[in-house]
Amino acid sequence: MGVIKPVAAETALIEALDDATGWLAQLREATRMQGLPTRRNEMWKWSDLRRAAAGISTAGSMTVTGATGEVLEPADGETVELGVSASAGASAAAQGLVVKSGRSVTLVERYGGEAGSLGNFHLDIKIEEGARLERVCIHDETETGVLVASADIDLAAHAHLTQIALAFGGKLVRNETHVGHAGEHSEAHLHGVYLLDEGRHFDYTSSVHHTGPGGITRQLVKGAVAAHARGVFQGKFKVDRAAQLTDAKMTHRALMLDDRAEIDAKPELEIYADNVQCAHGNAIGTLDETALFYMRQRGIPLARARALLIESYLAEPLDFVSDEGMRDDLRARLQQRLRAIS
Amino acid sequence: MLKINDLHCKVEAQDGAEKFILNGISLEVPAGEVHAIMGPNGSGKSTLSYAVTGRDGYEITEGGIEFNGEEIGEMAPEERAARGLYLSFQYPVEIPGVPTMIFLKEALNAQRAARGEAEISAPEFMKLAREKAKQLSISMDMLKRPVNVGFSGGEKKRLEILQALILEPKFLILDETDSGLDIDALKVVASGVNALRSPERGMLVITHYQRLLDYIKPDVVHILAAGRIVKSGGPELAHELEAEGYDKYIGEAA
Repeated sequence: MGVIKPVAAETALIEALDDATGWLAQLREATRMQGLPTRRNEMWKWSDLRRAAAGISTAGSMTVTGATGEVLEPADGETVELGVSASAGASAAAQGLVVKSGRSVTLVERYGGEAGSLGNFHLDIKIEEGARLERVCIHDETETGVLVASADIDLAAHAHLTQIALAFGGKLVRNETHVGHAGEHSEAHLHGVYLLDEGRHFDYTSSVHHTGPGGITRQLVKGAVAAHARGVFQGKFKVDRAAQLTDAKMTHRALMLDDRAEIDAKPELEIYADNVQCAHGNAIGTLDETALFYMRQRGIPLARARALLIESYLAEPLDFVSDEGMRDDLRARLQQRLRAIS
Repeated sequence: MLKINDLHCKVEAQDGAEKFILNGISLEVPAGEVHAIMGPNGSGKSTLSYAVTGRDGYEITEGGIEFNGEEIGEMAPEERAARGLYLSFQYPVEIPGVPTMIFLKEALNAQRAARGEAEISAPEFMKLAREKAKQLSISMDMLKRPVNVGFSGGEKKRLEILQALILEPKFLILDETDSGLDIDALKVVASGVNALRSPERGMLVITHYQRLLDYIKPDVVHILAAGRIVKSGGPELAHELEAEGYDKYIGEAA
């Protein structure tokens, strides 16, 4: 396979990763060989990264607060906060995290990107046997930046993962999660909420690969998309022959707030075991006009009625956040964004 | 108080086709009076209630609606609500995720804000809601649940009347308030409505059957057929209809 002729953003990213090692070196070489993914790549068909990165021609920098440069091994009960922000230009950073056996850890990631940024933050996470991780990803400050938050998560037996993403999108923002699921009483919960104002793009992509028997996976992703904005959901459950008695359910539901909104969804099940319970559901709808009229008839102005209805539609995945303060904070961010867009 | 002048209304159906449903209704309900609108299915009863309260898709093509001397036919539903128009829905709408108390407080404060009045405080509102809920045997637990979600038919209709007791509108339109109610629930709802009767308030009671009018006594009864009022009279007209049916009016209108 020949090396592609790189576009400016690709050259800039390769330059930014000049002396990188590990995952970042792989990213550099993949970019050198194949370029940034485009819509011709099945996994990126609705989120053309090369196109979104057009106009970016310099290397930038990615600042990650809370990272030490070493693999993080948080103590039991600890909350790790990572603040990821990409400056204008192309940049990437990676971080490892291990939840040691039997520990329970919370990880909060806050993402931001300047205008003209192309950033990729990658997490490599191992959740050891009997350990628990609750992961909250907040994408509320990427504005017109382009950002990919990718994570590879290895879930051991009797381990527990809950992930909740709240996203307001950007020029293109993608939250991409790949879970290796050992089964054996381990559970993965991958939830998310996205609310996209005009011109925003958000992509929730995840895959869960069940390799051992008796694993549980739950997914609930809900979105609302305004005119000229685009929401993308790609969810995949792969169940190996060895992963008998897997119990996995995937649900994506989204609201078109305008005829000119776009929502693309690809729920996928790939099942090789014969004794499993796997289901997926996907529904795209619009705001209930009758409910809107009912609320307005009671005196609630149109914009407020819309905001209340959208909030009630979107809020459910946030209920999976176990910490009440964090849950209230996410709900408040959602309400604030709703006030701004409606 | 409410004056409907030669009102023509068309409705856009789902397939984009237009249908004229009101073909020149004129009606005046003075403050303090209760008027009943009776008519067969498809005569335009619900359309009239939606046209008066401003539902999208119900376009007034001729005539107008005056409320307290002000033309309201072009106003948004929330503007009409703030001026004191209230519609009790035939099918109250379920709003998952919005607790009833929060919904009611939002509605009351939105109306107050639109009228330039101060917001009601949370404790004041609680007190008001508790007092009014008691009148209708509605538990505070029910008010913590999302609006109408999982409510029985009777509970939904009681909640419609509770909202009216809290919002204190100047004018009520009751659309088939008796549908889906057993006799006990009907009595509770009717006593709630009667508690709202006052010399300053008007009401339009839309019903298919005479039964409701035994409990909410109208001053005037109008018969609606094919989008027009074909006859008006006193309360005895309702009994006459009950005995004779709508057949002769359907013939007259066509």
